[in-house]
Amino acid sequence: MSTANHVLTIQTKNQPVVLERLLQVTRYRGFEVAGMEMKPMADFSGLLVTLSIVSDKPISLLTNQLNKLYDIEYLDCVESQQTQAEAGSMRA
Amino acid sequence: MKGAELVIKLLEQKGVEHIFGYPGGAIMPIYDALYQSKVKHYLCRHEQGGAFSAIGYARSSGKVGVCMATSGPGATNLITSLADALLDSVPLVAITGQVSQAVMGTDAFQEVDVLGLSLAVTKHSFMVTDVTELEHTLNEAFELAMSGRPGPVLVDIPKDVQLAEVQFKPRLVEDADTAQQEFLPTVALEQARLLIQNAKRPIAYIGGGVHMADAVSQLQDFLAQSPMPSVTTLKAMGTVPPSNPYYLGMLGMHGTQAANLAVQQCDLLICLGARFDDRVTGKLAAFAPDAKVIHIDIDPAELHKLRHAECAMLGDLRQLLPAMSVPTHCEDWLKHCLSMKQQHGWRYDHPGERIFAPLMLKQLSERMPDNAVVCCDVGQHQMWVAQHMSFSHPRNHLSSGGLGTMGFGLPAAIGAQLARPKDTVLAVSGDGSFMMNVQELGTIKRFRLPVKIVIVDNQRLGMVKQWQELFFNERYSETDLSDNPDFVSLAAAFAIPGHSISRKDEVLPALEAMFTWPGPYLLHVRIDETDNVWPLVPPGAANQDMLTEKAQ
Repeated sequence: MSTANHVLTIQTKNQPVVLERLLQVTRYRGFEVAGMEMKPMADFSGLLVTLSIVSDKPISLLTNQLNKLYDIEYLDCVESQQTQAEAGSMRA
Repeated sequence: MKGAELVIKLLEQKGVEHIFGYPGGAIMPIYDALYQSKVKHYLCRHEQGGAFSAIGYARSSGKVGVCMATSGPGATNLITSLADALLDSVPLVAITGQVSQAVMGTDAFQEVDVLGLSLAVTKHSFMVTDVTELEHTLNEAFELAMSGRPGPVLVDIPKDVQLAEVQFKPRLVEDADTAQQEFLPTVALEQARLLIQNAKRPIAYIGGGVHMADAVSQLQDFLAQSPMPSVTTLKAMGTVPPSNPYYLGMLGMHGTQAANLAVQQCDLLICLGARFDDRVTGKLAAFAPDAKVIHIDIDPAELHKLRHAECAMLGDLRQLLPAMSVPTHCEDWLKHCLSMKQQHGWRYDHPGERIFAPLMLKQLSERMPDNAVVCCDVGQHQMWVAQHMSFSHPRNHLSSGGLGTMGFGLPAAIGAQLARPKDTVLAVSGDGSFMMNVQELGTIKRFRLPVKIVIVDNQRLGMVKQWQELFFNERYSETDLSDNPDFVSLAAAFAIPGHSISRKDEVLPALEAMFTWPGPYLLHVRIDETDNVWPLVPPGAANQDMLTEKAQ
């Protein structure tokens, strides 16, 4: 099955619950996390999070919800063409 | 001062006059600071009831509702009300006590991860870990609750933060300039005006976002300058005055036939502060199938979420509605909608002596004082209220729409009565819903609140029973409530007088007695278990395929 894949680059405030919030919204809105990276920003003022998202739904349904989160400072979304199988191997 | 004192001083500074809550171990410092404060606290008998009262207060007044609870079970009891506020976009600030940070994460007594629990049921939630952040966090909570699309915000405050010393300088409250001029989307507005001018069958689909944007008068001006039929969601009832001849009533699963048919026939659907909820649209793919859509909302996530809009605008309806007004050219359509409204009007010629709930509610509506507030519970009575009662403003009709929470009505009425002490407040409940927060009769008794309670009693969980009858082969699984308590005696235990009726000819004298009684009153109205709500759009069906028992 060919599925759209997106990479979200997200800059967050430095809040302890922010990762859970990102993941909760992503799951609830029906998107699958195929990969995730997180590191503190150089000045420790927040986090840089990269989420690889797999879905057959328009990604705007997720980015519009994430952009509303109080702890999100910046969000960028890039589409990459990948199949479900490739996404699966990425997770493995 | 201590952090706990700061919390109360900040509430005072923000002009918060009434809060609802229930004390407990982890929030004792805040309750101690509350003692002899100018902020009046209303002790509820369950945290869920307290939070629903705060919601009723907020929805009936347009202000932020505030509630408090202790850690653990106090906080978990708030969860349903927070979810209710989230789905109905109600500005609410919930303050919870938390165990001290030294023992957090150790499964301490009455410790639960409130911040984690709150993620799915709040617009945002904070935990204050340093007392120096407390003032800023509380200010942010109030700002967030009211701004954009309103919603509930939770602030969890560990006990050690409540007890820590902090500096606080009271500031004068500045009047916010709420009428900030926004940049108007001129291209989209021009497109919208063209769509309206060229439409042969336009209709306005009005949601709760209109009154939450404080744009009721702008909406009414828009409908006057751009005459077209209008329909409302459950939450928006009262936005269009019932005297508007082209107002067709509520749309959706239990909407009027005229409203649903008109929406299905329209060629332009102007969605204002609404969100294409499944209870409105029925089968989404078949909803308003020939219509182009103009959609205006304050929440960008609602645009194109469920229905693509040919013209989508993000912004303040107070500014966008006047800019979108343009003459319409749809006289034949207006006549057609008037004709449908007459053809499908409600009928009240119910045979026999038994009380017919739609007629009783119509009589209640006609006799209640101007500007009365009606707080509903959830189920058949809720839909009958929406169908057969009239409201002059959406703040006069409080109903749990998005979450559909049984137990909402009675505590919401308490909040509304405190927010609007000069207005008559009614709680119209079903026998199932009433029992869900019946303990709040204790709050009514304590504060002698003159709430008028009407229980529409069919001794069943009526809406579930109706679906079992229609869609589950009459297998009435767990919907029999024929062992209900004697509601009048129950009220009497709380020093609330009441009366029970079961015949049509008893209705008007009973309403008269209720309205003339100066204090709280309970009217128990017994109806037949076989009465159902009509029309009904079956699950998965398009809105034109309504089931009707007979001509309405």
